[in-house]
Amino acid sequence: MTRVETTHAWRGHDQRLGRAAMTFLLFLPALIFLAVWFVWPLGQLILLSFQGEDGAFAAYQEILTSEVFRIVFFNTLKLAVLVTIICTILAYPAAWLLTRVKGFWFSIALYCILVPFWISILVRTFSWMLLLERSGPVNNFLITLGVTDQPLKLLFNDLGVYIGMVHVLLPYAVLPIYSSMLKIDQRLLLASDSLGASGRTTFFKIFLPLTLPGVTAGATFVFLLALGFYITPALLGGPHNLTAAMLIDSFVNERLVWPLAAAASVILLVIVLVVLAVTSRFVSLGSSVVVK
Amino acid sequence: MAVKETHGVRFEQICKSFGEVKALRPLNLEIKPGEFLTLLGPSGSGKTTLLNIVAGFLDPDDGRLILGGQDVTALPPRARNIGMVFQNYALFPHMSVAENVAYGLKVRGVKGMALQRQVNEALEMVQLGGYGERAIDQLSGGQQQRVALARAMVIEPDLLLMDEPLGALDRQLRKHVQLEIRRLHTKSPRTTIYVTHDQEEALVMSDRVAIMRNGRIVQIGTPGELYEKPDSAYIARFLGESNLLPVKVLGVEKDRIAYSIRGYEGTFSTPAKGQAENTPGEAQLLIRPEALRVSQTDGNSLRVVVEEVVYLGELTATKLRFADGQEGWLRAMKSPAHQPGAVIRVTWAPEDTRLLPAKD
Amino acid sequence: MRRFKPSSQALTQIAGAVVLAFLVMPIFAVVPASFNQASFIKIPPEELSLQWYSAFIEDRGWMSSLFNSIRVALLTTAIALVIGTLAALGVERLPKRMRPFVIGAVLSPLIVPVIMISIALYYVTRSIGLYGTVTGLALSHALICVPFVLLNVSVSLQRLDPNLARAASGLGARPGYVFRTVTLPAIWPGVASGGAFAFVLSFDEVVISLFIAGYGAKTLPVKLWEQIRVEFTPVAAVGSTLILTFTVVLFILTRLSARKRNSAAEGSQ
Repeated sequence: MTRVETTHAWRGHDQRLGRAAMTFLLFLPALIFLAVWFVWPLGQLILLSFQGEDGAFAAYQEILTSEVFRIVFFNTLKLAVLVTIICTILAYPAAWLLTRVKGFWFSIALYCILVPFWISILVRTFSWMLLLERSGPVNNFLITLGVTDQPLKLLFNDLGVYIGMVHVLLPYAVLPIYSSMLKIDQRLLLASDSLGASGRTTFFKIFLPLTLPGVTAGATFVFLLALGFYITPALLGGPHNLTAAMLIDSFVNERLVWPLAAAASVILLVIVLVVLAVTSRFVSLGSSVVVK
Repeated sequence: MAVKETHGVRFEQICKSFGEVKALRPLNLEIKPGEFLTLLGPSGSGKTTLLNIVAGFLDPDDGRLILGGQDVTALPPRARNIGMVFQNYALFPHMSVAENVAYGLKVRGVKGMALQRQVNEALEMVQLGGYGERAIDQLSGGQQQRVALARAMVIEPDLLLMDEPLGALDRQLRKHVQLEIRRLHTKSPRTTIYVTHDQEEALVMSDRVAIMRNGRIVQIGTPGELYEKPDSAYIARFLGESNLLPVKVLGVEKDRIAYSIRGYEGTFSTPAKGQAENTPGEAQLLIRPEALRVSQTDGNSLRVVVEEVVYLGELTATKLRFADGQEGWLRAMKSPAHQPGAVIRVTWAPEDTRLLPAKD
Repeated sequence: MRRFKPSSQALTQIAGAVVLAFLVMPIFAVVPASFNQASFIKIPPEELSLQWYSAFIEDRGWMSSLFNSIRVALLTTAIALVIGTLAALGVERLPKRMRPFVIGAVLSPLIVPVIMISIALYYVTRSIGLYGTVTGLALSHALICVPFVLLNVSVSLQRLDPNLARAASGLGARPGYVFRTVTLPAIWPGVASGGAFAFVLSFDEVVISLFIAGYGAKTLPVKLWEQIRVEFTPVAAVGSTLILTFTVVLFILTRLSARKRNSAAEGSQ
């Protein structure tokens, strides 16, 4: 009997080992891929950021002390914050509308969010370039309405950048807010009504607080994406609308100063990680990411 | 189908824990070739764990599983030649009825005409001839259940396992399929382990029933043995209706046990042979409702109050209250209609009673 | 239901509708522009014509970038499907408490700013000779596609009845055969929509491509980017319309298959 028991212990051990090995094998391609094509390149870049000609921290020092770079980073942050605020405010009624409509109109409303999500950022940005042109439809429309008699300058300035970025990033704000609205137990609202609360009170004391996790998640996504944005500001902005991503591009492609580019992107990454660490304390971003 | 020589099963000291929870305590059991054995017990009693160990989906922590004289403990499920019917049927949703049934045969290398013939036979057997090309989601629950049965039987398994296969069916259909499974088993006896928490199902279908509780088999026997000679009040209550009266065992004289019933004067007695309890002290007396009769005389009888009379068609059930406040039932083909509140006397044959331990 | 004041409800709904219109309207600016007759872009066009489509087809630069895009997107999809599906199967075998960490690791390329990934890959692809190649670009795109394949396949796997695989192995099938005949067909919708995601993401991708594609693997978005930085031509609108068409067609296909999958799931209950 004892002998039988030992062989069984072996067998169980063996099978568990085989199972673990199989699980590991399933992860192996992902592991190798991420190591070679993600961790290694990023590691190289981080190493590069410490290889300035004048000492390990020279690149960081140059970026942090240079007036121009400070302004660019400040502008990028300002742009990201403002775009986040505008997106959140616009997303809220859109998400609410999604919870109110049914059937055919719901499908239409949902596709209004999902289709732009899928379509190339470049194509969407190009569309805005065509629309906001001097002789484009928006200017024509404004002139027809009599709002203005001269075509307005809507492109290659702040306005163009804001319109384009809000448009591109808006779906990222709508979906998490919508899913948080869906989760609200309707009985809570009825309870508040029946306790005599006004519509305004019910909204601000019950509805809004319950959607805050969705708002936080949506705002975080928009902010993080806006921070590293490149295409839209580069095409719709003017010379003054330089963002951190464009600065990094110019370091690499025009000035060929790799340590500066590396250091700037590390700084960008650190900001992203700090924002993520802070917001993930309040809300589970993971559950919202699945929305897409 | 020709009667195939089939295998018995033996469990030797099988046990299994999930963390702190002991799902199975060391368990021994022998199932004879061709026997239909039901594992009966409430959820969490370990019956599904035991079934999964037999199928090979779970490894026991210790012990051996012998199938047809061969130790199969170390074999993976695919090498055990066991047919299994799952509670939710687990039919492959992307295959037709015939493809589902053919799956195990194809794995065994059966091809062409032979494959087609065996699949058709299996479908005929469960009365689904001509349904082969249907998609699974075009079938009703009862039909899906039969496809699952055909898929498990067509591979001529040495052992057939069924995990609450009728759980998802409505009552009417369940009765029908019970008899159907019983018919198939009688026609070609195949060692079968059937798991259920439905006592009626267990009694109708099985050669033997093993009652499980907290990872143990508490009693095993034919349906008749379990019903008539339960070892504990727990089993008595689990199988059928029962009147359980608190009694005190006074002692054994010759081959009879004497006892007194709480709330009544006098002593009673029952044959001592085969009783579950015979030590002097507190005990419980089991009298099945159909063993009670209305008595005209005073001897060996109890005064009870009629609480309620329920007509069940051919039977009449009378709800009684005993002297100590205990409720009970009397069931008879033709019992005189008593008015609620009437005081009557009930009696029984001494050999129809059973003394059980005071504790469950 | 009284709830919020009717007037404020109506206002909010109108605001929501305006926002939704804002989201879709501009997308279709490029489509009419591509059917323009004039040699400059005018919306709406005064006369319709297909002449810029034939100009697109006759232009070797545009056509080769279109074929590059398709090549890269197909290779990306293949790479991401294999890596992502296997990883999703692995996640399913892990204990529940370990899953968030592993999923987080696979999803981490989505957190790093794309510009950083782009220059990092630019830096290493040049040193290992994959710069300006379809392979190098496809591997780079796969980095952001694998997470979406993983998420899509995981959703399918969670819906999969574990008894199906047990039933198959109980009937005598070996693990590989069980996977091929039971598991894979059952999770196929998730694999397909993950693949569609991967294809569209790669087909649309600009920033990484700008850095990695070089001359040898110049994709349609890169060509488009270069063109519209110089001037807006109707041919650029044709290129945009093609990107848009690919995306919308794949989008519709995945929605249709999702609908079919849902109705199949309802039917089997």
